[in-house]
Amino acid sequence: MFKELVEKKHYSFHEGFDDWRDAVRAACQPLLDDGTIEKEYPEIIIGKVEELGPYIVIAPNICIPHAERGRGVNDTAMCFMKTEKPVSFDPNDPDKDARIFVVLAATDDEVHLNNLMQLSETLSDEAVVEKLLQAKTAEDLKAVEG
Amino acid sequence: MLKVIAACGSGMGSSQIIKMKLEKVFKKLGYQAEIYHTNVGDAKSQANNYDVVFCSESLVGTFTGSKATVIGLKNLLSEAEMTEKIEAANLPK
Repeated sequence: MFKELVEKKHYSFHEGFDDWRDAVRAACQPLLDDGTIEKEYPEIIIGKVEELGPYIVIAPNICIPHAERGRGVNDTAMCFMKTEKPVSFDPNDPDKDARIFVVLAATDDEVHLNNLMQLSETLSDEAVVEKLLQAKTAEDLKAVEG
Repeated sequence: MLKVIAACGSGMGSSQIIKMKLEKVFKKLGYQAEIYHTNVGDAKSQANNYDVVFCSESLVGTFTGSKATVIGLKNLLSEAEMTEKIEAANLPK
């Protein structure tokens, strides 16, 4: 999965972000660059989180920015981002800090469901998460199994 | 048959992950469960027709006043947390 993301240039590495909104925008940037999504997509995600709270942080350290299908999305894809410093979504809840981001974009249900299944299996493996947290370059990311 | 909703903000990411994980966990615990995944708005309007709602902890407040049992999850990838919370909620088999 990560090898494929590197090949598609769907990844980025960053030091950190003071505002989670900027982290979501940066995580989406590679998908914006190749036309997978439109500029409005990260803003839709941000709007949903502002309305509902950080439901996109699905586990400690792990955030999957996504919004409803159809708006601002041209293709089905995933995109990886890692930050060295944790990004805070809720100053009162450190469990909602994240360093691993996987943006989800979907137009095709079947492909999307396969992506999600693979993603949830992969990120359920603590050894994989640990390797992702250590990764600093595309080469490191490629070497992570799953 | 236990009727279950998995909910998230959009109905297309986290809620599907919850559903995938719950299918495994319910099977392991010997439950027959029918799991529907959707966004919070839809889940809220339908919650009274279901036995239990699972969502991210940050969305639990949305379901205040609902007749269904609402279970908030800290870690959507943790089968251990789901197992523990299902057992604690004493859901009917």
